[in-house]
Amino acid sequence: MPLSTQSQADDEQYVLVASLDNARNLSNILKAITFKDHAIFNATPNGLKVTVEDSKCLQANAFIQAEIFQEFTIKEDSVGFQVNLTVLLDCLNIFGGSTAPGVSTALRMCYKGYGHPLTLFLEEGGVVTVCKINTQEPEEPVDFDFCSTNVTNKVILQSESLKEAFSELDMTSEVLQITMSPSQPYFRLSTFGNSGNAHYDYPKDSDMMELFRCTKTQTNRYKMSLLKPSTKALALSCKVSVRTDSRGFLSLQYLVRNDDGQICFVEYFCCPDEDVEEE
Amino acid sequence: MNCVLEGKAVKAFGKAIHALSRIGEELWLDPMGRGLALRSVNSARSAYACFLFSPLFFQHYSLDSVSEQDSETIRCQLLIKSILPLFRCLTSIERNVERCQISISSPNGRVMVQFFCRHGITKTHNLCFLESEALQAAFASHLCPNVLKAPARLLGDIVMHFPVSQEEITLSMSPLRVSLRNYNEGGNDHVRIMYTEMSLHPDEFDYFQIGVESDVTFCLKELRGLLSFAESHCLPVSVHFGAAGKPVSFSVEDMVLEAIVVLATLIDSESKGLSQPAEALAVTPSRCAEAAVLPVGECNRSQTQDVPAVMEMIASSQGSPMIHTPALMLLLPQADGLSAADEACATTSPASSTICSLLFRAVSSQQADGGCAARLPVLACCSDGEEED
Repeated sequence: MPLSTQSQADDEQYVLVASLDNARNLSNILKAITFKDHAIFNATPNGLKVTVEDSKCLQANAFIQAEIFQEFTIKEDSVGFQVNLTVLLDCLNIFGGSTAPGVSTALRMCYKGYGHPLTLFLEEGGVVTVCKINTQEPEEPVDFDFCSTNVTNKVILQSESLKEAFSELDMTSEVLQITMSPSQPYFRLSTFGNSGNAHYDYPKDSDMMELFRCTKTQTNRYKMSLLKPSTKALALSCKVSVRTDSRGFLSLQYLVRNDDGQICFVEYFCCPDEDVEEE
Repeated sequence: MNCVLEGKAVKAFGKAIHALSRIGEELWLDPMGRGLALRSVNSARSAYACFLFSPLFFQHYSLDSVSEQDSETIRCQLLIKSILPLFRCLTSIERNVERCQISISSPNGRVMVQFFCRHGITKTHNLCFLESEALQAAFASHLCPNVLKAPARLLGDIVMHFPVSQEEITLSMSPLRVSLRNYNEGGNDHVRIMYTEMSLHPDEFDYFQIGVESDVTFCLKELRGLLSFAESHCLPVSVHFGAAGKPVSFSVEDMVLEAIVVLATLIDSESKGLSQPAEALAVTPSRCAEAAVLPVGECNRSQTQDVPAVMEMIASSQGSPMIHTPALMLLLPQADGLSAADEACATTSPASSTICSLLFRAVSSQQADGGCAARLPVLACCSDGEEED
């Protein structure tokens, strides 16, 4: 493969080298969090974490573990930079992104460190493309301070059951209300739109409900515009965990299987909508 | 009103709503002793559809209200765009929905539509409605000279050949054949238009009765929903019509439901049988759709001024000398009281007023029990209609 003919000397300059035989294993998961142009990349020996934020109220993280990559070499404990995610995705799909069987784009992603561009070597069918994307100083992602000890309610659902609900959600509603409770209605999604309101109820003994751990009744509202992008992650996932903490902050964690059956995670954090007090 | 549908009935109900969405923007839910009627009318009042589901269609049907506060049945008017999304994906309904419950509760002003789905999931929708008298088109199908009964797929297969953008088609009937062709206004575009005509032998129909040779032109778009419904239920379609200018109806029925679409037809000034008062009718072909594409004619400025002129047009389009003025005056404000869209209707061109040849009267509870309302069509001679509004 042409990419491996790079000289050893080049490699020593890079603080991060990550290779994939199938670039789609990265691009598909990044599409699930592309609702803003810029993404913060943070690489550690464990793997790659990509963060996208919206107005300090919504944060999406994609985790691609080191084991997913065919090669993952990192020379520092933590390497961080910020790039334009849309440009990155365009580069990853530079060969057209068609899904012909047996044909995939190979990727070698290299970074020399602060001040250097992110270099992508992409190869398909013997053709090599080199892309250099300018990097910026990484912003500090918002720390939502969401820790498992504060979690009051948690459910894990099979994504199939939620996909339909999310595709039918009344978009004229400004908020999505989530009710979680140890008693009826257990887990409820509600919208309040122009024509009226709608409620989607999932009982705790439903066979779509893999885990149900609710300690107290909580109802929280989240801006629909903030949660809408999470539908992309839902579409890719097979399971989703929904957690709320004592402040009403929402954590959605999606389990995504890539083309090769390996597992990656996407996580969304969302602040509750404080404009509307409970009525 | 409280009813429960199960399994396949939910899909059929959804298909009916799809068909009604082709007609107008509002849907009337009218619970009656003999079943639940869903009606829609277009804003030009030139197309009307009604689906009547008998109590047998439902797993459970009762007019008693859910709460004890309601003392009478409520008739409600909903926006189709608020109920259509609930039934938008029929394949997913077929796959997932086990049962559907619909109830109307007046204290809340809400119609509740609840889907009980697989895996224990429940979807509840509370839709706002307006209390409103329903409309019913006054159309006497048993008086129509021409009657066809077509096997389920026949009409659907024919209209498939017309482009989706085709607005109007002409149905012609003679003792030897029935034909359908597209209708185009204006003579300038002969070169650019593709003409399509299909002819059928009377033997193709389950029933063929010709009283008068005629060509009727009506809006195809509004009919497609019913044809699709008929096909999915394998029901034959009955067509009743007369001379040009009189409405045409398409209907299907089986043990548990009846559906009818009544469409106004264009008046053809060249056709032999019809006499037209010269001044009132500039017979400009018009679109059945509500948008007033054509310039507004002089005589239709405002509602009140025009009542005489419009009535005249209606009298002539019906060709019926029995309809005398006072009764019509009674009808028109009634129909118009139902929505603001009517004023827009009256201020469109004279030609589209000629298309508004469907007479409407409000459905009332007395009528519902009366003999003449036992079947959907009602005698068009509302001259005996000093009746209620």
